[in-house]
Amino acid sequence: MLANIAHHRRACIAGLVGVCLFVILAPSLMAQGTGTLTGRLTDPSGDPVGFAMVTTTSVDTGQVLPAATGPYGIYKFSLPPGTYRLTFESPGYRMVEIPAVKISVIKPVVQNCELEDDAQTQGNITPEPAQKPAPSPSNNTTEPSLEDLGITPAQAKGDAKAQALLDRRTHMLKIHQRLGLITIAPFAATLILSATAGGRNTSSTDRDLHVLLGSVTTDLYFTSAYFAIRAPKIPGTKTRGPIRLHKTLAWIHAPGMVLTPILGEMAFAQKSRGEKVHGIATLHGPVAIATAAAFGLAVASVSFKF
Amino acid sequence: MLGKLLIGFWLLSLPALAATDSQWVLEQSTLSYHVAHPLHQVDGISHAGRGKGVCHDGQCDFLIAVPVKSFDSGDSNRDLHMLQVTRGAQFPLVTVRTRVPESASASATINLDLEVQFAGQTVKYRQVPFQRVSQGSKTRISGTIPAKLSDFKIDPPSLLTMPVKNDIPVSVDLTWQPM
Repeated sequence: MLANIAHHRRACIAGLVGVCLFVILAPSLMAQGTGTLTGRLTDPSGDPVGFAMVTTTSVDTGQVLPAATGPYGIYKFSLPPGTYRLTFESPGYRMVEIPAVKISVIKPVVQNCELEDDAQTQGNITPEPAQKPAPSPSNNTTEPSLEDLGITPAQAKGDAKAQALLDRRTHMLKIHQRLGLITIAPFAATLILSATAGGRNTSSTDRDLHVLLGSVTTDLYFTSAYFAIRAPKIPGTKTRGPIRLHKTLAWIHAPGMVLTPILGEMAFAQKSRGEKVHGIATLHGPVAIATAAAFGLAVASVSFKF
Repeated sequence: MLGKLLIGFWLLSLPALAATDSQWVLEQSTLSYHVAHPLHQVDGISHAGRGKGVCHDGQCDFLIAVPVKSFDSGDSNRDLHMLQVTRGAQFPLVTVRTRVPESASASATINLDLEVQFAGQTVKYRQVPFQRVSQGSKTRISGTIPAKLSDFKIDPPSLLTMPVKNDIPVSVDLTWQPM
């Protein structure tokens, strides 16, 4: 039984470290004993579709795992063996669904996908006469034109690439927002459970549940962070308003999310040996609370108007 | 003698010519959209409007153009999001065209038919009331365009899974000066 707990703990720590590496090294994620699903997304011309959303849904358990393609259209999942439904989504393209992909531990599965242009979206982009053909400026007796206002045709012309960049940015930040909101639930549950997990007369079950929820929180947090970090930057944009506070708070809750599980593991080890939590491990609770406070404030800063 | 007569006629007709082919230029402008969300009330303001009016044969044609990206709601992330949902990079200008009878220029309230081009769509708003105030040689026009997101086929952006209201009234305050 003790050996099982120790093994479980080690797996949790490996998972947390993997999540930290995931932020840096991108989509090579998750644990061992899993199968690999990878592939490349391209558009009809064969160019890679970067930052598209790829979602796997386990046909057996219903568990959903989202990820994004990298700038070269590559995605990669580490998944427990089983059958998965796979969807590919990106603004401007029709969603593609592959109903069943079998994943096994033995051999990586490569599932490439070519996305088709979304006719409706394309319709909005190109043919609509966005700016009425400007009447030629004449001897002040006709309707005024954009040129009369000092606006050149170049200034009035749209930029499809810039729009696509904005679309991708919004798409990724929406996922960031959703995952961030979902993270609140296990985070709150972990904090609530800490009351029983950290007490003197606690059972190992309470601590295991606390560790499990903490791991889920950390996984969701760093997945959410990935989408914020990798969302395309818009050149020439100066950060202002509540989003500044939101970004600044990341300097508190991100290190906190790294430190909390490390300190937690130390505290866990001490408790499992029957010792009272001591040394730097006593900071696990305060760091977790500070992290939660910064995270909560970060969510609130963009959700409510102060 | 004939020369003096011609000069006399020319001098007499000058004010009339000025009245029929006059031009106006937009000196100052404030356009602001209002977005309502259960948790937010947001106003995006732009002072970057450019405009011109040309009067001919008793009719004045006005054109106002505002860059979509010039609207400032006080938060850069929200502005970029608004720019995205309104397809502001694809269609960088909001333009408003209207035709006003010159005779209406004396009224305190003017009802205008507006043609608004925004987000790749052209929408007409009929008989939108505007207030007109003369300030010396300048004329100040203010009113609210009852715009809706659906008019321009814009999906209402959402925050915390709650979408904003469909109504995005655009307040307009324009000061025109004769050229």
